[in-house]
Amino acid sequence: MRNEELLKGQSIPHDSASKHVSGFAQYTDDIAEPSNTLHGAIGWSEKAHARIKKIDLSDVEKSEGVISVATFKDIPGRNDVGPVFDGDPIFPKTKVEYFGQPLFAVAATTTEFARKAVLKAKITYSELKPIITIEEALKKNNLLFNPRIIKKGNPQNKINKSKNKLIGKFNTGSQEHFYLEGQVCLVIPQEDKNLQVYSSTQHPSETQQIIAKMLKQKSNSITVTVRRIGGGFGGKETNFMTAAICALLSHKTKQPIKLRLDRDDDIILTGKRHDFYSEYEVGFNDNGKIEGLKLKLASRCGMSPDLSYAINERALLHLDNAYYLSDLEVKNFLCKTNTSSSTAFRGFGGNQGMMAIENIIDNISRFLKKDPSDVRKENFYGQNENNITHYGMKINDNVIHDIFKSLLDKSNYKKRYNQIKNFNLKNKFKKKGIALTPVKFGISFTTIHLNQAGALVHIYTDGSVHLNHGGIEMGQGTHTKIAQLVANTFGLPFEKVQISSTNTSKVPNTSASAASSTTDLNGAATLNATEKIKTNLNNFIKKKYNILSKIEPVYRNENIYIGNRTFNFKKIIQEAYLNRISLSSSGFYSTPKINFDKQKFKGRPFYYFCYGAAVTEVTIDTLTGENKVDRVDIIHDAGNAINPALELGQIEGGFVQGQGWLTMEEVVWDKSGKLRTYSPSTYKIPAVTDTPDKFNVEIFKRGSNVENVVNKQKTTGEPPLMLAMSVFFAIKDAIASISNYTKIPELDAPATPEKILMSINKLKRKIKSNGK
Amino acid sequence: MVSDTIQFLFNNKIFKIKNPDPNKTILNYIRNDLKMTGTKEGCAEGGCGACTIVLGELNKNKIVYKAINACISFLPILNGKQLILIEDLSNGKSLHPVQEAMIKFHGSQCGFCTPGFTMSLFSMHKNNKLINNEIVEEALSGNLCRCTGYRPIIDAAKSLNNKNDLDQFKKDKIKIIKLLKNIKSTDIEINNKGKKFFAPKTISNLKKILNKYPDAKILSGGTDLSLEVTKFRKEIKTIISLNSVEKLNFIKKNRNLLEIGATTSLFEFQNIIKNYFLDFHDILKRYGSLQIRNVGTVAGNIATASPIGDTLPLLLTLDAKIVVQGKNKKKTFSLSEFFISYRKTKLKKGEFIYSIKIPINKDNIFKAYKISKRFDDDISSVCGSFSFLIKKNKITKAAIAYGGMSAIPKRASAIEKKLVNSEFTENSFSNAIDLINKDFSPLDDMRASSEYRLAVAKNLLLKAFYEIKNKQTIRIN
Repeated sequence: MRNEELLKGQSIPHDSASKHVSGFAQYTDDIAEPSNTLHGAIGWSEKAHARIKKIDLSDVEKSEGVISVATFKDIPGRNDVGPVFDGDPIFPKTKVEYFGQPLFAVAATTTEFARKAVLKAKITYSELKPIITIEEALKKNNLLFNPRIIKKGNPQNKINKSKNKLIGKFNTGSQEHFYLEGQVCLVIPQEDKNLQVYSSTQHPSETQQIIAKMLKQKSNSITVTVRRIGGGFGGKETNFMTAAICALLSHKTKQPIKLRLDRDDDIILTGKRHDFYSEYEVGFNDNGKIEGLKLKLASRCGMSPDLSYAINERALLHLDNAYYLSDLEVKNFLCKTNTSSSTAFRGFGGNQGMMAIENIIDNISRFLKKDPSDVRKENFYGQNENNITHYGMKINDNVIHDIFKSLLDKSNYKKRYNQIKNFNLKNKFKKKGIALTPVKFGISFTTIHLNQAGALVHIYTDGSVHLNHGGIEMGQGTHTKIAQLVANTFGLPFEKVQISSTNTSKVPNTSASAASSTTDLNGAATLNATEKIKTNLNNFIKKKYNILSKIEPVYRNENIYIGNRTFNFKKIIQEAYLNRISLSSSGFYSTPKINFDKQKFKGRPFYYFCYGAAVTEVTIDTLTGENKVDRVDIIHDAGNAINPALELGQIEGGFVQGQGWLTMEEVVWDKSGKLRTYSPSTYKIPAVTDTPDKFNVEIFKRGSNVENVVNKQKTTGEPPLMLAMSVFFAIKDAIASISNYTKIPELDAPATPEKILMSINKLKRKIKSNGK
Repeated sequence: MVSDTIQFLFNNKIFKIKNPDPNKTILNYIRNDLKMTGTKEGCAEGGCGACTIVLGELNKNKIVYKAINACISFLPILNGKQLILIEDLSNGKSLHPVQEAMIKFHGSQCGFCTPGFTMSLFSMHKNNKLINNEIVEEALSGNLCRCTGYRPIIDAAKSLNNKNDLDQFKKDKIKIIKLLKNIKSTDIEINNKGKKFFAPKTISNLKKILNKYPDAKILSGGTDLSLEVTKFRKEIKTIISLNSVEKLNFIKKNRNLLEIGATTSLFEFQNIIKNYFLDFHDILKRYGSLQIRNVGTVAGNIATASPIGDTLPLLLTLDAKIVVQGKNKKKTFSLSEFFISYRKTKLKKGEFIYSIKIPINKDNIFKAYKISKRFDDDISSVCGSFSFLIKKNKITKAAIAYGGMSAIPKRASAIEKKLVNSEFTENSFSNAIDLINKDFSPLDDMRASSEYRLAVAKNLLLKAFYEIKNKQTIRIN
């Protein structure tokens, strides 16, 4: 893209904003159903680990309104929805592996009848001992893959020689996606066994393939359409169970089926974020510079592989965050547990890896009694040296130093750091804490072949533009941003570009809208399509009007300017049509430069990095452990943003979602493997009063992208979530004040009031026993 | 007069439904029967606000706009009200100012929660000319958004401060009031394939129906009862609503006593109790959401007798009395003797709560705290309530109660006994708190561990002491 063609950020509202606020934005459950539509419900396992002795569905079949009941016997093809590896049976035949595993499904005349019916199943189990925690799985060596070991340099040697040494362990918790629109699918049978599928998914192409394989049909017989989804966050990247079962019921009944999970079922049946456990041994000098690090990183993957391999890989690729690690060894364990299969969630393991290293740096600072921000700076990747990652990628776009310095100034960090120490001396029950944490996040799918996208653009004879691409609109505004790019490249007002539903028959073989890459990939594919149309038009105009000049035509203000000649866009389109010029084109894009050898753990898995940093100030109550975020200052790099308002929305929203992950959102399984937090009454995501009182977010003013990404933008999908690490470490800072910053508090995430009070009490006991 | 038909105002027209299914939620009616799909289901338990609608209610020639959760409200409660949905806000030509504000401040991302937020903002805007942080937070704490982090929505809400509310609802006000008045106020008796719903207007009729249907479920806010249908997939055969009984909706105040009728909503109660016990008000503001408090009642909280009902420990320490209407006469219980065991009370079949009496003693020092993972709209892991009389630095009365610590909300009698007649000193309190183990042995659950509950319960008592001693609150929120 030439620089003069870049769009200077235009903060127009989300393309659907006026429909959102008036109730006319259509979601899958809002589509008018054909009159013969039946409604589905899923019957699921009450046990976390058991052999199935008998499934008696006679009362289910007799239940009011029931038309059909489907079991594994009705599946003609592949009985699995695993996206990469097998392991996620649609209905298991002999053994259940988690509480909530689907066993059968019902189609009835109403949703209420279907949901009542599934409760009438009589299932006898022979129970097996479940493995629920990472600890149990490690003890029993219950792993999905062999442990993965990566090594650089000689960390043990370095640690032995280091002046200072620390060992420790640390946990981060799971997180439920809690997209406001739950899993839902509508399948309408067509001619020739074809199915029209409307599904709330981030991945229509995989939905198509999974249904095709399940029904032993070709992919070309399944069409998946998605206009928008009510939030995804990774929870609809795989989790194909709902769509598969819906299609199966339709296949069996030959009728349209709507399957909408109620909130409890949605949370119980589908996977969540991976919990991570880490153990570390670190050697460092008196400035806090890490000299050698040995790390054990284990995650709760649930009952199947799903995307766990890639998620753990991203954790391994991000345990450096913004820091240069010269000598490193990591052992990674993917624990198989009898819980729902842990899956993609904004950050995709990256955030868990980053929390592990941030906790180590924080502890080093406290051990040395230094301001943690100084120790962080000490360890940053250099611009010209110490700039090769532990996987061998040279970092050539590092702006963390610039962001860090700007943020120190903007937030007045150093002054407040001292003010807070004074506040804490004077207050016994209220303690304040502050922390500055950086973010460096790699952009691209680490599975290289996924970094491709397609698009389809038509111009109709009245000059209006129809836009279609493979990305899913899930709130991030990708349709708005890509339509802005199209409007910009054709020199048209935004309103002239019609956004359309993502559809597997328009753009095939798409990748999931994930890895923060949706706009980068699909935007580039779209511009590839528009360039082809423009080339047709340019050639036509030049030929028809006999323009020999080599000047590039300029598309602006609904006109096309070539030298001193002006052509009206709409008129040229009509002329081009009459002269039999193609006004439609597909587009394609594949990310250049990237490569990654998974065996050697070497290469350039990322096209570029996103950077940002946050300063958070909190207050905690030392009698109760309650906490409050008082002030947040953020500088985040969005490159040359297409739509700064939408990027700001991603940054703020990502931050608060991360704040939830690290402070209040707690997924609790009991010992028998039953999920105890499965509704908004038991699982708490941040509410309106949790938003920081002072929330100063700035998009990095000098932002650009050294790589040739659309509009030189940088994505803001996942990276801002990790800005919330500053909340956690500010809380830890506040706790540390109780020991007058002489001791290292032990605190795991999420820092709930309980965890905070227990950490305080532990610290108090430490001080007491030291005093004796 | 008795009617089997409910009537409500929708799109300035009277809608009539004869014998509606009393187990059908308003949300299912809107989406499945009216085919209006703007209102969303997010959780079917009143916990996310995606289904927020607004009911216009006539109150002395004025229309009060109440945001409620359509997912946990049964259809018959529409009777006599104006139903306002998200699709109604635009006047056909232009969007409503609250919609414009949401767009201007980029308040929607995925958009699924947006109709609910917009309806909450609408009722806030209609009921309040001046908007401040407190009003915004109260209006929006029952609506969850997973995308925006709320900042743009808060800004949209604040932009409505002092904004003219001249919309079609105001323009048509006289017509709407007239139409609402035209709906004849009668007793309602619905029979839908054996499922019955009664909404009597007088206590005598209520008693008669209760006599005939002693197993009927009594509905006031229905925020708990409806879950039987929406979550547990059960059928409620007979429902008797108290909401039309005019004599149950009252507030009596004198110098020594506050008495509230059974159908007083938590929202109304919150605004009255503010004048007597500020901490009670502050806890109520965190009780459910505004949507819940608009319909839920104190009497309902008492009757369900949940160990985590937030008003209960507070009422216990205030020595509240429950007036129960028996078959023949009224009976009065002290609250502490009213609870028998987990979710069981002394309320017998055929009886109902008539009112709650709260003694007012100006010398009482009252403190209450709620501990939960999330500040707003969460269920307490521990709720502590403390009421003291202190004379010349001596504790003459100590009333201490906790929720979340046992199967029923309960007074901490061992601690109370230890404190009474002792000096009001840190030492007295430090000595007393260890008796918590005598009073309570709480459970581990998803909200908190037993260990934390005990630790925080002790600390709350100390907190009360420090706050009273230093005449200064220690609160971070």
